[in-house]
Amino acid sequence: MAVNCNSTKKSIDNKNIFLWVALIALLVVAPFFFRDSRRVMHILTMCLIWGMVAESWNLILGYASVFSFGQLGFVAIGAYTSAMLSVHLGISPWIGLIAAGVAAGIVGALIGLPCLKLHGIYVGIVTFGISLVMPTLIVWGGQPGYKNLTGGTFGLAGLKAYQLFGFNLGSVKIRWYYTGLVLLAIVLYAIYKIIHSYVGLAFVSLRDSQTFAKSLGVNDYKYKIIVFSISACIAGIAGAFYAHYSRIIDPSILELDIFLLILVMVVLGGLGKFGGGVIGAFIITYINEILRPTGQYRYVILGALVIIVLTYVPSGIRGAIDKLAVKIKAGRT
Amino acid sequence: MSTYIELLISGLVLGSIYALMSVGLTLIYGITKVLNYAQGSLFTLTAYLAFVFFSNFVSMNYFVVFFITLALMAVIGFVFEKIFIRPVRRLPGWDFTVIIVTLGTALLIDNLFLVIFGPLQKTLPRAFEGSLVLGAFRITKHNLFIIVAALLTIVILDRFLSKTRVGMSMRAVAQSSEGARIVGLDVDKVFGYSFATAGVLAGIAGILLTPRTLIYPLVGWPVFQKGLVVMVFGGLGSIKGTLYAAFILGMVEIIISYVFGARWALPVFIIILIVVLVFRPKGLAGRWQ
Repeated sequence: MAVNCNSTKKSIDNKNIFLWVALIALLVVAPFFFRDSRRVMHILTMCLIWGMVAESWNLILGYASVFSFGQLGFVAIGAYTSAMLSVHLGISPWIGLIAAGVAAGIVGALIGLPCLKLHGIYVGIVTFGISLVMPTLIVWGGQPGYKNLTGGTFGLAGLKAYQLFGFNLGSVKIRWYYTGLVLLAIVLYAIYKIIHSYVGLAFVSLRDSQTFAKSLGVNDYKYKIIVFSISACIAGIAGAFYAHYSRIIDPSILELDIFLLILVMVVLGGLGKFGGGVIGAFIITYINEILRPTGQYRYVILGALVIIVLTYVPSGIRGAIDKLAVKIKAGRT
Repeated sequence: MSTYIELLISGLVLGSIYALMSVGLTLIYGITKVLNYAQGSLFTLTAYLAFVFFSNFVSMNYFVVFFITLALMAVIGFVFEKIFIRPVRRLPGWDFTVIIVTLGTALLIDNLFLVIFGPLQKTLPRAFEGSLVLGAFRITKHNLFIIVAALLTIVILDRFLSKTRVGMSMRAVAQSSEGARIVGLDVDKVFGYSFATAGVLAGIAGILLTPRTLIYPLVGWPVFQKGLVVMVFGGLGSIKGTLYAAFILGMVEIIISYVFGARWALPVFIIILIVVLVFRPKGLAGRWQ
């Protein structure tokens, strides 16, 4: 928890900086080992996308302590915004990416206005309900009378790939991977800046002592809406990238198993720990992939795994790493 | 005219099911502060249990199977708390972790059914076949049974909570689990009892509704979703508010289904929920602390 405290910030950052440099180097080099395997490259790219979503969820769930269960709804809003702009108006996916972020951010703020007045679990159920309603709206928007705006149950297919410096990302997995990596880096940097800004400080104070922070004039409602909107915006961007990467977007993105998987990424990685979502995303996406041959049993095993891991590694992988670092340091001195 | 009366009856039937489902949820939340995402899976579990009994012991009386299944559900609810909830409750920050554990349990149970029983739909017998004709309109005997059984269950639950020792200890823990511990109540056991009670409530809803909907691995999920909305609408932890909410939303769903189609029920629920929460942030009868 000390990671967020201003006084100890510097020393902790210095200690972890090698870890981060090593991780980033690993991510940059990884494709050179797997470049021939399209499957591995696909899994790695999906790790990056889910990492963005999980980290945005971590921001609202872990830092702002808002029980938001509607993050997949924002992913879907971003994905559909970009997809519809691309399919119906032929707008460049890059502009679509920005539009997706803006749209998801605005919807996030609009949903936040009534929701964030509520307390604890109430927010969770309302936001969860909103994401449950979205498939109905998407299918409705796909009726012929509305010019098949959203493609209904079958979704929108044949989305264009991004153009970058004259290269078409096309179906070259490695190009997608590096674009995703840059996007993830930007997202992580933005989140890092937010956490270590005035807004982040407000949340730490609210989390540690709500009454005291409020009496000093910290307006939690205002900050919650800001962070809720930013988190939605990031999720929307990730959704847009996902849609163009998989070239098709349909309502199955809002299904329950994806919801659970990403939630588990956040918690496993370490709730409220910077970078926890990304670590969780890599682990869970990988496990989900190796369980694929078990067929029907996959979700049974995954469910059991979730229960066991949450019961025995409660503070997440990032928490375990922090504890280990403290132990090593204590051993040295 | 008879159309409206039939709509009214359907609304009552749906309201009864939602009442059973969401009272179970709100009971668990009120006493243990756990948001149980696996409540829908308990619903499904009962349906499959009853299916196994009915198909293996064909000659057995309906009500014998009914009560055996419910007794089993009480045991399962108790064991569920012991295996999945109790270990997590010892951890710091458990109030969030436990939600995801119940979600993981739901995934586990639902997919287990898919593995064991396959995706094909199963049927469950009704309590009574045929229908009653009262003047201009008719009501199937099973629908009447649903309403009566649900109301009877609620009355028994109320007696149970206010008169029996176990029921009173559950209310004591709901008020203050720390205080209950100090005066010598075994809080862990009380948590187990409340999950057992909620298991029975989900079970009754499951046996009553699935003859109408058929059984498939995710049958409990839509009921659970609406149960969640009902619970928040009524106010977390308040059984009276939940009952009002269940019947109001049951009626609303029938009217919406009749006018616009069934898929608009949940969107309208959410809109109503948000509007109500703007004016009453703790639901219809939520406790103001």
